[in-house]
Amino acid sequence: MPNSANNADFMEVLKNAMPFQVIPENLLRDIAAICSSQSFAAGERIYNFGELADDVYIVASGRVRHVLGADSDPKRHEDIVHANGIFGWAAVLEGQNTRLATTSSLEDTEVVRINGKALTALFRDNPAVGDVVMSRFATMINKEFSVPQSIASQVPSFKQALKATSLQGSEVSTMALTVFRISTWLQSPRPYLMLIGFALVLSFWYLSVQVWELPRFVDMPGLTEVFREWFSKDPVYGLSVYTPEYYKHIGISLRRIGIAFALATALGVPLGLFLGWSKTFREFVFPLFEVLRPIPVLAWVPLAIIIFSGSETPVIFLTFLASFFATTLNTMLGVESIDESYSRAAYCLGASRFQVFRHVVVPGALPYIFTGLQISIGVAWFSLVAGEMVSGQYGLGYLINTSYMMIEYPKIIIGMITLGIVGYSTSAMVRMMGDYLMQWRVRELALGDN
Amino acid sequence: MNAVANDRLGSIEDVTRGAIKIDDVVKIYDPDGAAVMAVDHCSIDIPAGEICMIVGPSGCGKTTLLNAIAGFHGVTSGSIYLDGEMLCGPGNPQAQPGSDRIVVFQNGALFPWKTNLDNIAFGPMMAGVESKKEIYDRARSMMADAGLSGTEHSYPGEVSSGLRRRVEIVRALMNHPSVLLFDEPYRALDSLTKSVMHEALLEIYYKNKVTIFFITHDLEEAIFLGHRLIIMSSRPCSPKKIITVDIPHPRDYSVLTSNRFREIMDEAKDVVNEEARKAFDAGEKEG
Repeated sequence: MPNSANNADFMEVLKNAMPFQVIPENLLRDIAAICSSQSFAAGERIYNFGELADDVYIVASGRVRHVLGADSDPKRHEDIVHANGIFGWAAVLEGQNTRLATTSSLEDTEVVRINGKALTALFRDNPAVGDVVMSRFATMINKEFSVPQSIASQVPSFKQALKATSLQGSEVSTMALTVFRISTWLQSPRPYLMLIGFALVLSFWYLSVQVWELPRFVDMPGLTEVFREWFSKDPVYGLSVYTPEYYKHIGISLRRIGIAFALATALGVPLGLFLGWSKTFREFVFPLFEVLRPIPVLAWVPLAIIIFSGSETPVIFLTFLASFFATTLNTMLGVESIDESYSRAAYCLGASRFQVFRHVVVPGALPYIFTGLQISIGVAWFSLVAGEMVSGQYGLGYLINTSYMMIEYPKIIIGMITLGIVGYSTSAMVRMMGDYLMQWRVRELALGDN
Repeated sequence: MNAVANDRLGSIEDVTRGAIKIDDVVKIYDPDGAAVMAVDHCSIDIPAGEICMIVGPSGCGKTTLLNAIAGFHGVTSGSIYLDGEMLCGPGNPQAQPGSDRIVVFQNGALFPWKTNLDNIAFGPMMAGVESKKEIYDRARSMMADAGLSGTEHSYPGEVSSGLRRRVEIVRALMNHPSVLLFDEPYRALDSLTKSVMHEALLEIYYKNKVTIFFITHDLEEAIFLGHRLIIMSSRPCSPKKIITVDIPHPRDYSVLTSNRFREIMDEAKDVVNEEARKAFDAGEKEG
């Protein structure tokens, strides 16, 4: 039967046990409150292998023989636990609810018992301390007991478990991350605010054009008219989601964006990396870059048409230009933003200049590179539409411009909304690509959000 | 652990690598022609395996000295030797950074884009001498030894700052350095974590004897960890007083309340306060 002892005695025992030494007084008092003590005569069994692992034991006085594994196991390991030592730690391991060893007292022994579940619950409320204690548990298990190392890795970790259960472990797939994000997003007020935002704008459009008929809105196509046309099987102006022409416009615009964006990335990222990395290269190229960069895309239109033949290449060139500048500049800023300690640390660890570039400069600049790519895809659409309005046969910009000339106003709005949706999708794709390449950042942010 | 092993723990006699000799080093910064002397004819001898605590007011030029040993910048005159070999000196003012002297940085410099395990494997992977499997097996077992099991696949940003510091030390030790250079690594930690880190550092040190060049302005930390304190004068930086801490290793937190600890503390405090006041009067900035 457990003896009664007062909490001050328990606290004294806890303070002498290595993993508990770091616990602040108030938490120690809570732990002492769930302690009980028990004595065993010399030679008495304390528990057997395979029994339910409920309590953790601290030896207050005496010695305990600790034999790992079942009686029949030929490779059993024996350890002696002295005063202040801890055994019975199977009770705090994750995924372990039976005893891993058989224990018996070698002499008259006093032990303090702490319920494993209650202890983990206390640590869950104090994750910072809990993690330190558990990491000490792992150290102790490895050092004092002849056990396979994998056992110590079963000690729980509270901070992570608390904040993002779905993010733990090594094999976090992008899928799991996406699900995690969507579920937190749905729990926040954001999606509902977003819906309200959309509803407000659409109802203003509907009211101003079709109900109030405000003076300058007379020629503007109404909400219902546009949507009827857009989803009509037999559209008045020949363009709806059922006509192949609609997809041809989207497809051609997307192809131009794809080519221009790929070119801008393939040239802009390396150029930006080198600009940030090599001072000499930078002094050589950057001033020229700075003079060309502020020239608006529209100013390039005549030159683009003169230089490039046909209708396709000038548009792609114009789309490429703005993207290229955005990507290059952000990549360069990214390299400059990398804390000097990282490259110093890499040099200390014996990395060569090229290895520093590959393992520090490139991954370190990635967050900025992807910010750059986000901007780049945005300005790409901007320049694309500008280009398509001037030159080209198809494309969403061309669609909007010709619809205006032909006085087919609903098609303008259809083109605009489509641009919005397609543009948003491409930028979401760039963002997902970034998340995939920067798992470390996603996990940091996910932890920080809660 | 038994008593015989305990006696050997604090001893540095059997350490053969990592003696640093700083010989008459001067470092003058010359921003825009206005020469600022950061280190003034500084000579320090550190025997192999010693934990040498460099104590001084903020901005006194301690870090300049550390950077010169690490090879992050050069010296104006004087020379620095590691085990008798010149790192920098006349004709070669800047040392080449290398894995024999590894810095543990003030704000930590684990690569946030690599997992803890990949961070720890980084040095040997760059050297490319061992096979990938050998490196990762070694990294895992070193992590387990340091009580870091279970955090292998976490990114540094996901674990506590105390744990990060430990990973950083293990990352350094993976390369069998002869010297670890600590640049006030525990400055930003709260006192609970700090005390855990001190014990953890000593534990690691007893297992892997290396010379430790440790910069701090925390006297308690300095006396608790160090074999010797070298108290530096305020800028320009040079040794002002050397105090041998004759409290035997291995130490634990009970030494903080011992009389000898108090005595050393009082002795050091007088010197440090005087220098701190000088630095304050001179209006030195943090750094």
